[in-house]
Amino acid sequence: MYQYDWKGPKRGVALYSYSAEFGISKNLEDCFEDLYDMGAHGLEILANTHIPGYPHVSEAWLDQWFALLDQYEIVPVEYGNWIDSHILGSRELTTRESYEMLARDIKIAAKLGFTVMRTKMPVISDDLAPVKNWREFIELALPLAEEHNIKMCPEIHIPTTLNAPMIQEYVEFIERTGTKNFGLNIDFSVFRNVFGENEYRPEGFEPSKPEELVPLLPYIYCCHAKFNHMNDQFEETTIPYPEIIRVLKEQNWDGYLLSEYEGADKYSPGYEVGQTLRKQHIMLKRLLGD
Amino acid sequence: MLEREVIQSVGFRNRKEAGTVTGFQFKVRLPYYRGVFLCQLRPGTLYVDGEAFKKEEIVWNIGGRDYTYEEMKENMETHWAVTEPAVLKVQKESGLSQGFHELTYGFCFTSSYMPPVMQDALDPDEECMVFMAEFGHHVNHRRLLMV
Repeated sequence: MYQYDWKGPKRGVALYSYSAEFGISKNLEDCFEDLYDMGAHGLEILANTHIPGYPHVSEAWLDQWFALLDQYEIVPVEYGNWIDSHILGSRELTTRESYEMLARDIKIAAKLGFTVMRTKMPVISDDLAPVKNWREFIELALPLAEEHNIKMCPEIHIPTTLNAPMIQEYVEFIERTGTKNFGLNIDFSVFRNVFGENEYRPEGFEPSKPEELVPLLPYIYCCHAKFNHMNDQFEETTIPYPEIIRVLKEQNWDGYLLSEYEGADKYSPGYEVGQTLRKQHIMLKRLLGD
Repeated sequence: MLEREVIQSVGFRNRKEAGTVTGFQFKVRLPYYRGVFLCQLRPGTLYVDGEAFKKEEIVWNIGGRDYTYEEMKENMETHWAVTEPAVLKVQKESGLSQGFHELTYGFCFTSSYMPPVMQDALDPDEECMVFMAEFGHHVNHRRLLMV
Protein backbone atom coordinates (compact mmCIF):
# COMPACT_ATOMS: atom_id res chain seq x y z
CA MET A 1 0.00 0.00 0.00
CA TYR A 2 1.13 3.55 -0.74
CA GLN A 3 2.88 5.34 2.16
CA TYR A 4 3.26 9.10 2.55
CA ASP A 5 6.23 9.87 4.77
CA TRP A 6 5.85 13.63 5.31
CA LYS A 7 6.03 14.49 9.04
CA GLY A 8 3.75 17.13 10.53
CA PRO A 9 0.39 18.39 9.31
CA LYS A 10 -0.47 16.78 5.95
CA ARG A 11 -3.04 17.55 3.29
CA GLY A 12 -6.08 15.44 2.58
CA VAL A 13 -9.68 15.74 1.41
CA ALA A 14 -12.96 14.61 2.88
CA LEU A 15 -15.00 13.24 -0.02
CA TYR A 16 -18.09 14.67 1.67
CA SER A 17 -17.07 17.87 -0.16
CA TYR A 18 -18.16 16.29 -3.46
CA SER A 19 -21.60 15.31 -2.19
CA ALA A 20 -23.51 17.42 -4.74
CA GLU A 21 -21.63 15.78 -7.62
CA PHE A 22 -21.01 12.23 -6.42
CA GLY A 23 -23.07 9.73 -8.41
CA ILE A 24 -24.26 12.47 -10.76
CA SER A 25 -21.15 13.74 -12.52
CA LYS A 26 -18.31 12.15 -10.52
CA ASN A 27 -17.51 8.65 -9.33
CA LEU A 28 -14.97 7.54 -6.76
CA GLU A 29 -12.11 7.43 -9.24
CA ASP A 30 -12.86 10.97 -10.48
CA CYS A 31 -12.60 12.20 -6.88
CA PHE A 32 -9.31 10.32 -6.39
CA GLU A 33 -7.84 11.84 -9.54
CA ASP A 34 -8.83 15.31 -8.32
CA LEU A 35 -6.90 14.63 -5.09
CA TYR A 36 -3.94 13.40 -7.10
CA ASP A 37 -3.95 16.63 -9.13
CA MET A 38 -3.81 18.58 -5.88
CA GLY A 39 -1.08 16.43 -4.36
CA ALA A 40 -3.37 15.62 -1.45
CA HIS A 41 -2.55 12.19 -0.05
CA GLY A 42 -5.07 11.85 2.79
CA LEU A 43 -8.59 10.57 2.29
CA GLU A 44 -11.79 10.62 4.26
CA ILE A 45 -14.77 8.69 2.96
CA LEU A 46 -18.26 8.41 4.35
CA ALA A 47 -19.09 4.75 4.84
CA ASN A 48 -22.77 5.19 4.03
CA THR A 49 -21.95 7.08 0.82
CA HIS A 50 -18.81 5.82 -0.82
CA ILE A 51 -18.88 2.04 -0.22
CA PRO A 52 -21.06 0.29 -2.81
CA GLY A 53 -23.33 -2.22 -1.09
CA TYR A 54 -22.70 -0.79 2.40
CA PRO A 55 -22.93 -2.22 5.07
CA HIS A 56 -21.56 -5.16 3.07
CA VAL A 57 -18.25 -5.07 1.23
CA SER A 58 -17.55 -7.34 -1.73
CA GLU A 59 -14.13 -8.84 -2.37
CA ALA A 60 -14.26 -7.60 -5.97
CA TRP A 61 -14.77 -4.03 -4.81
CA LEU A 62 -12.01 -4.33 -2.20
CA ASP A 63 -9.55 -5.24 -4.98
CA GLN A 64 -10.61 -2.16 -6.94
CA TRP A 65 -10.35 -0.02 -3.81
CA PHE A 66 -6.73 -0.95 -3.09
CA ALA A 67 -5.78 -0.62 -6.76
CA LEU A 68 -7.21 2.92 -6.85
CA LEU A 69 -5.43 3.90 -3.62
CA ASP A 70 -2.12 2.78 -5.13
CA GLN A 71 -2.73 4.36 -8.50
CA TYR A 72 -3.55 7.78 -7.04
CA GLU A 73 -1.11 7.61 -4.07
CA ILE A 74 -3.81 7.91 -1.49
CA VAL A 75 -3.70 7.00 2.20
CA PRO A 76 -7.04 5.95 3.72
CA VAL A 77 -7.08 8.18 6.79
CA GLU A 78 -10.54 8.68 8.17
CA TYR A 79 -13.70 6.60 7.80
CA GLY A 80 -16.87 8.56 8.50
CA ASN A 81 -19.46 6.53 10.36
CA TRP A 82 -22.61 7.25 12.31
CA ILE A 83 -24.00 5.72 15.44
CA ASP A 84 -27.62 6.16 14.44
CA SER A 85 -29.28 5.34 17.77
CA HIS A 86 -32.45 7.18 16.76
CA ILE A 87 -32.78 5.16 13.59
CA LEU A 88 -36.12 3.67 14.63
CA GLY A 89 -38.76 6.30 15.16
CA SER A 90 -40.44 4.19 17.83
CA ARG A 91 -37.58 3.75 20.33
CA GLU A 92 -33.92 4.47 20.93
CA LEU A 93 -31.45 1.66 20.22
CA THR A 94 -30.11 -0.19 23.26
CA THR A 95 -26.46 0.19 24.23
CA ARG A 96 -25.81 -3.27 22.76
CA GLU A 97 -27.48 -2.39 19.44
CA SER A 98 -25.54 0.89 19.20
CA TYR A 99 -22.33 -1.02 19.92
CA GLU A 100 -23.13 -3.55 17.20
CA MET A 101 -23.62 -0.77 14.66
CA LEU A 102 -20.27 0.69 15.70
CA ALA A 103 -18.52 -2.70 15.69
CA ARG A 104 -19.70 -3.37 12.14
CA ASP A 105 -18.05 -0.11 11.01
CA ILE A 106 -14.82 -0.73 12.94
CA LYS A 107 -14.39 -3.99 11.03
CA ILE A 108 -15.13 -2.44 7.63
CA ALA A 109 -12.88 0.56 8.32
CA ALA A 110 -9.95 -1.73 9.19
CA LYS A 111 -10.59 -3.91 6.16
CA LEU A 112 -10.30 -0.81 3.95
CA GLY A 113 -7.04 0.24 5.61
CA PHE A 114 -8.35 3.18 7.67
CA THR A 115 -6.86 4.04 11.07
CA VAL A 116 -9.21 6.79 12.28
CA MET A 117 -12.98 6.87 12.39
CA ARG A 118 -15.06 10.06 12.48
CA THR A 119 -17.61 8.55 14.82
CA LYS A 120 -20.72 10.68 14.68
CA MET A 121 -22.61 10.56 17.94
CA PRO A 122 -26.38 10.69 18.14
CA VAL A 123 -27.46 13.88 19.91
CA ILE A 124 -30.16 14.75 22.41
CA SER A 125 -30.17 18.55 22.50
CA ASP A 126 -29.92 21.69 20.40
CA ASP A 127 -26.31 22.18 21.51
CA LEU A 128 -25.48 18.70 20.15
CA ALA A 129 -24.86 16.93 23.48
CA PRO A 130 -24.32 13.22 22.79
CA VAL A 131 -26.72 10.52 24.04
CA LYS A 132 -26.37 9.66 27.73
CA ASN A 133 -25.01 6.13 27.13
CA TRP A 134 -22.15 7.14 24.79
CA ARG A 135 -19.50 6.08 27.33
CA GLU A 136 -21.04 2.63 27.56
CA PHE A 137 -21.06 1.76 23.87
CA ILE A 138 -17.67 3.38 23.24
CA GLU A 139 -16.15 1.47 26.14
CA LEU A 140 -17.66 -1.78 24.83
CA ALA A 141 -15.99 -1.06 21.47
CA LEU A 142 -12.51 -0.20 22.79
CA PRO A 143 -11.09 -3.76 22.67
CA LEU A 144 -12.31 -4.27 19.10
CA ALA A 145 -10.93 -0.87 18.06
CA GLU A 146 -7.58 -1.74 19.64
CA GLU A 147 -7.50 -5.10 17.88
CA HIS A 148 -8.14 -3.35 14.55
CA ASN A 149 -5.84 -0.35 15.20
CA ILE A 150 -8.73 2.14 14.94
CA LYS A 151 -9.12 5.45 16.74
CA MET A 152 -12.74 6.50 17.12
CA CYS A 153 -13.09 10.28 17.04
CA PRO A 154 -16.19 12.36 17.52
CA GLU A 155 -16.03 15.55 15.48
CA ILE A 156 -16.00 18.88 17.31
CA HIS A 157 -17.88 21.32 15.09
CA ILE A 158 -19.51 24.74 15.38
CA PRO A 159 -21.59 25.61 17.50
CA THR A 160 -19.40 23.57 19.88
CA THR A 161 -16.08 25.19 20.81
CA LEU A 162 -12.92 23.83 22.41
CA ASN A 163 -13.96 24.93 25.92
CA ALA A 164 -17.33 23.12 25.79
CA PRO A 165 -18.25 20.72 28.63
CA MET A 166 -18.56 17.98 25.97
CA ILE A 167 -14.79 18.17 25.31
CA GLN A 168 -14.03 17.95 29.03
CA GLU A 169 -16.17 14.82 29.20
CA TYR A 170 -14.39 13.23 26.24
CA VAL A 171 -10.97 14.06 27.73
CA GLU A 172 -11.99 12.68 31.14
CA PHE A 173 -13.09 9.47 29.44
CA ILE A 174 -9.76 9.15 27.60
CA GLU A 175 -7.79 9.79 30.80
CA ARG A 176 -9.89 7.42 32.93
CA THR A 177 -9.66 4.55 30.45
CA GLY A 178 -6.12 5.38 29.28
CA THR A 179 -7.28 4.46 25.79
CA LYS A 180 -5.41 5.22 22.57
CA ASN A 181 -8.46 4.17 20.55
CA PHE A 182 -10.74 7.12 21.25
CA GLY A 183 -9.90 10.76 20.57
CA LEU A 184 -11.04 13.88 18.78
CA ASN A 185 -11.44 15.24 15.27
CA ILE A 186 -11.38 19.03 15.45
CA ASP A 187 -13.30 20.79 12.70
CA PHE A 188 -11.78 24.23 12.09
CA SER A 189 -15.26 25.79 12.14
CA VAL A 190 -14.63 26.17 15.89
CA PHE A 191 -12.12 28.95 14.98
CA ARG A 192 -14.42 30.84 12.64
CA ASN A 193 -14.15 34.53 13.51
CA VAL A 194 -15.82 36.22 10.52
CA PHE A 195 -19.48 35.88 9.56
CA GLY A 196 -21.10 37.67 6.64
CA GLU A 197 -24.28 39.69 7.08
CA ASN A 198 -26.59 36.96 5.87
CA GLU A 199 -24.65 34.07 7.34
CA TYR A 200 -25.82 32.08 10.32
CA ARG A 201 -23.84 32.71 13.48
CA PRO A 202 -25.00 30.49 16.36
CA GLU A 203 -26.31 32.51 19.29
CA GLY A 204 -23.56 33.37 21.77
CA PHE A 205 -20.87 31.73 19.62
CA GLU A 206 -17.36 32.88 20.57
CA PRO A 207 -14.69 31.28 18.39
CA SER A 208 -11.92 29.25 19.98
CA LYS A 209 -8.34 30.51 19.72
CA PRO A 210 -5.80 28.34 17.86
CA GLU A 211 -3.66 28.15 21.06
CA GLU A 212 -6.52 26.29 22.76
CA LEU A 213 -5.58 23.31 20.60
CA VAL A 214 -2.32 22.75 22.47
CA PRO A 215 -3.55 20.80 25.54
CA LEU A 216 -5.86 18.71 23.31
CA LEU A 217 -3.28 17.77 20.66
CA PRO A 218 -2.34 14.41 22.25
CA TYR A 219 -5.96 13.33 21.68
CA ILE A 220 -6.44 14.81 18.21
CA TYR A 221 -5.94 12.15 15.55
CA CYS A 222 -7.06 14.22 12.57
CA CYS A 223 -8.71 17.53 11.74
CA HIS A 224 -11.35 18.74 9.36
CA ALA A 225 -9.83 21.62 7.44
CA LYS A 226 -13.17 23.41 7.19
CA PHE A 227 -13.23 26.43 4.88
CA ASN A 228 -15.96 28.87 3.93
CA HIS A 229 -14.57 31.63 1.73
CA MET A 230 -11.40 31.35 -0.34
CA ASN A 231 -10.49 34.58 -2.11
CA ASP A 232 -8.58 34.74 -5.39
CA GLN A 233 -5.38 35.43 -3.47
CA PHE A 234 -5.86 31.92 -2.02
CA GLU A 235 -6.64 33.12 1.51
CA GLU A 236 -9.40 31.84 3.72
CA THR A 237 -11.14 34.98 5.00
CA THR A 238 -13.20 33.54 7.90
CA ILE A 239 -10.83 31.14 9.69
CA PRO A 240 -7.31 32.10 10.91
CA TYR A 241 -5.40 29.43 8.98
CA PRO A 242 -1.84 30.83 9.32
CA GLU A 243 -2.19 30.83 13.14
CA ILE A 244 -3.73 27.35 13.26
CA ILE A 245 -1.01 25.85 11.06
CA ARG A 246 1.69 27.66 13.07
CA VAL A 247 0.41 26.08 16.30
CA LEU A 248 0.24 22.60 14.74
CA LYS A 249 3.77 22.89 13.32
CA GLU A 250 5.29 24.34 16.50
CA GLN A 251 3.80 21.51 18.53
CA ASN A 252 5.05 18.89 16.04
CA TRP A 253 1.56 17.58 15.52
CA ASP A 254 1.64 14.77 13.00
CA GLY A 255 -1.62 14.08 11.21
CA TYR A 256 -3.95 14.88 8.36
CA LEU A 257 -5.95 18.02 7.66
CA LEU A 258 -8.94 16.82 5.67
CA SER A 259 -10.54 19.56 3.58
CA GLU A 260 -14.25 19.71 4.05
CA TYR A 261 -16.33 22.19 2.10
CA GLU A 262 -19.77 22.57 3.63
CA GLY A 263 -20.99 25.66 1.74
CA ALA A 264 -24.55 25.22 0.51
CA ASP A 265 -23.56 26.80 -2.83
CA LYS A 266 -21.94 23.50 -3.81
CA TYR A 267 -25.48 22.27 -4.51
CA SER A 268 -26.10 25.06 -7.03
CA PRO A 269 -26.20 23.85 -10.65
CA GLY A 270 -22.84 24.34 -12.31
CA TYR A 271 -20.87 24.74 -9.08
CA GLU A 272 -17.55 22.89 -9.19
CA VAL A 273 -16.32 22.04 -5.73
CA GLY A 274 -13.03 20.70 -7.10
CA GLN A 275 -12.02 24.24 -8.05
CA THR A 276 -12.87 25.50 -4.55
CA LEU A 277 -10.83 22.66 -3.03
CA ARG A 278 -7.90 23.53 -5.27
CA LYS A 279 -7.92 27.11 -4.03
CA GLN A 280 -7.71 25.87 -0.47
CA HIS A 281 -4.94 23.43 -1.34
CA ILE A 282 -2.85 26.21 -2.85
CA MET A 283 -3.17 27.97 0.53
CA LEU A 284 -2.42 24.81 2.53
CA LYS A 285 0.52 23.85 0.34
CA ARG A 286 2.05 27.28 0.88
CA LEU A 287 1.48 27.17 4.64
CA LEU A 288 2.71 23.60 5.10
CA GLY A 289 5.61 23.82 2.67
CA ASP A 290 5.02 20.32 1.32
CA MET B 1 -24.99 7.99 -13.32
CA LEU B 2 -28.12 9.71 -12.07
CA GLU B 3 -30.08 12.73 -13.19
CA ARG B 4 -29.71 15.77 -10.97
CA GLU B 5 -33.46 15.98 -10.33
CA VAL B 6 -34.79 13.76 -7.53
CA ILE B 7 -37.59 12.36 -9.70
CA GLN B 8 -35.77 10.67 -12.57
CA SER B 9 -37.10 10.75 -16.14
CA VAL B 10 -35.67 7.32 -16.92
CA GLY B 11 -37.80 4.59 -15.37
CA PHE B 12 -41.19 6.30 -15.76
CA ARG B 13 -43.50 3.79 -17.41
CA ASN B 14 -46.61 1.69 -16.98
CA ARG B 15 -46.23 -1.76 -15.46
CA LYS B 16 -47.70 -4.95 -16.86
CA GLU B 17 -48.64 -8.15 -15.08
CA ALA B 18 -49.49 -11.13 -17.30
CA GLY B 19 -49.85 -8.80 -20.26
CA THR B 20 -52.23 -6.38 -18.57
CA VAL B 21 -51.28 -2.89 -17.38
CA THR B 22 -51.85 -2.82 -13.62
CA GLY B 23 -50.03 0.32 -12.58
CA PHE B 24 -47.04 2.57 -13.16
CA GLN B 25 -43.60 3.23 -11.76
CA PHE B 26 -41.01 5.99 -11.52
CA LYS B 27 -37.58 6.33 -9.92
CA VAL B 28 -36.24 8.71 -7.31
CA ARG B 29 -32.70 9.34 -6.13
CA LEU B 30 -31.78 10.14 -2.55
CA PRO B 31 -30.95 13.86 -2.32
CA TYR B 32 -28.74 13.48 0.77
CA TYR B 33 -24.99 13.16 1.15
CA ARG B 34 -25.17 9.70 2.68
CA GLY B 35 -27.28 6.61 2.21
CA VAL B 36 -30.02 5.73 4.69
CA PHE B 37 -31.40 2.58 6.22
CA LEU B 38 -35.02 1.98 5.25
CA CYS B 39 -36.37 2.75 8.74
CA GLN B 40 -34.93 6.27 8.42
CA LEU B 41 -37.23 7.00 5.48
CA ARG B 42 -40.40 9.04 5.93
CA PRO B 43 -42.33 8.54 2.69
CA GLY B 44 -45.14 10.94 1.89
CA THR B 45 -48.05 11.25 -0.50
CA LEU B 46 -47.72 11.04 -4.26
CA TYR B 47 -49.82 13.29 -6.50
CA VAL B 48 -50.15 12.54 -10.20
CA ASP B 49 -52.11 15.27 -12.00
CA GLY B 50 -53.76 16.00 -8.65
CA GLU B 51 -54.76 12.39 -7.89
CA ALA B 52 -53.40 11.37 -4.48
CA PHE B 53 -51.75 8.05 -3.67
CA LYS B 54 -51.14 7.47 0.04
CA LYS B 55 -47.79 6.26 1.35
CA GLU B 56 -49.33 2.85 2.07
CA GLU B 57 -50.18 2.48 -1.64
CA ILE B 58 -46.59 2.92 -2.81
CA VAL B 59 -44.15 0.01 -2.92
CA TRP B 60 -40.46 0.90 -2.84
CA ASN B 61 -38.03 -1.32 -4.71
CA ILE B 62 -34.49 -0.99 -3.39
CA GLY B 63 -31.62 -3.19 -4.49
CA GLY B 64 -34.06 -5.29 -6.53
CA ARG B 65 -36.43 -6.05 -3.63
CA ASP B 66 -39.92 -4.74 -2.95
CA TYR B 67 -40.78 -3.11 0.39
CA THR B 68 -44.15 -1.87 1.58
CA TYR B 69 -44.45 1.14 3.87
CA GLU B 70 -45.02 -1.20 6.83
CA GLU B 71 -41.99 -3.32 5.95
CA MET B 72 -39.69 -0.31 5.76
CA LYS B 73 -40.66 1.09 9.16
CA GLU B 74 -38.59 -1.36 11.23
CA ASN B 75 -35.96 -2.31 8.63
CA MET B 76 -32.57 -1.16 9.89
CA GLU B 77 -30.55 -3.65 7.84
CA THR B 78 -31.35 -2.64 4.26
CA HIS B 79 -29.47 0.41 3.08
CA TRP B 80 -30.46 2.75 0.25
CA ALA B 81 -27.37 4.20 -1.44
CA VAL B 82 -27.13 7.71 -2.88
CA THR B 83 -25.90 6.24 -6.15
CA GLU B 84 -28.82 3.84 -6.69
CA PRO B 85 -32.29 5.10 -7.56
CA ALA B 86 -35.29 3.55 -5.81
CA VAL B 87 -38.16 2.34 -8.01
CA LEU B 88 -41.58 3.40 -6.74
CA LYS B 89 -44.41 1.17 -7.86
CA VAL B 90 -48.07 2.17 -7.74
CA GLN B 91 -51.11 0.06 -8.55
CA LYS B 92 -53.58 1.80 -10.87
CA GLU B 93 -55.97 0.08 -13.18
CA SER B 94 -54.78 0.51 -16.81
CA GLY B 95 -51.90 2.73 -15.60
CA LEU B 96 -51.34 6.31 -16.70
CA SER B 97 -52.48 7.67 -20.05
CA GLN B 98 -50.18 8.60 -22.89
CA GLY B 99 -48.86 12.15 -22.67
CA PHE B 100 -47.63 14.59 -20.02
CA HIS B 101 -48.10 13.96 -16.30
CA GLU B 102 -47.36 16.21 -13.35
CA LEU B 103 -45.72 14.26 -10.55
CA THR B 104 -45.38 15.66 -7.03
CA TYR B 105 -43.80 13.49 -4.42
CA GLY B 106 -42.39 14.13 -0.97
CA PHE B 107 -40.18 12.04 1.26
CA CYS B 108 -37.61 12.76 3.94
CA PHE B 109 -35.45 10.86 6.40
CA THR B 110 -34.20 11.06 9.98
CA SER B 111 -30.65 11.86 11.13
CA SER B 112 -29.59 10.88 14.64
CA TYR B 113 -26.95 13.60 14.73
CA MET B 114 -29.44 16.44 14.29
CA PRO B 115 -31.23 17.99 17.29
CA PRO B 116 -34.36 15.99 18.25
CA VAL B 117 -36.57 19.06 17.81
CA MET B 118 -35.73 19.04 14.09
CA GLN B 119 -36.40 15.31 13.81
CA ASP B 120 -39.79 15.50 15.48
CA ALA B 121 -40.94 18.17 13.04
CA LEU B 122 -40.16 16.16 9.88
CA ASP B 123 -43.10 16.07 7.48
CA PRO B 124 -42.55 14.56 4.04
CA ASP B 125 -45.53 16.40 2.55
CA GLU B 126 -44.42 19.87 3.65
CA GLU B 127 -41.28 21.71 2.68
CA CYS B 128 -38.93 22.03 5.67
CA MET B 129 -39.22 25.37 7.51
CA VAL B 130 -35.49 25.95 7.33
CA PHE B 131 -34.37 24.52 4.01
CA MET B 132 -30.93 22.92 4.18
CA ALA B 133 -29.52 22.05 0.78
CA GLU B 134 -27.80 18.87 1.89
CA PHE B 135 -31.03 17.34 3.12
CA GLY B 136 -32.71 18.07 -0.21
CA HIS B 137 -36.24 19.29 -0.77
CA HIS B 138 -38.93 17.21 0.88
CA VAL B 139 -41.38 17.79 -1.94
CA ASN B 140 -40.26 17.29 -5.51
CA HIS B 141 -42.05 18.00 -8.79
CA ARG B 142 -41.45 16.84 -12.30
CA ARG B 143 -43.42 16.85 -15.54
CA LEU B 144 -42.82 13.64 -17.42
CA LEU B 145 -43.98 11.97 -20.60
CA MET B 146 -45.65 8.59 -20.66
CA VAL B 147 -45.41 6.75 -23.96
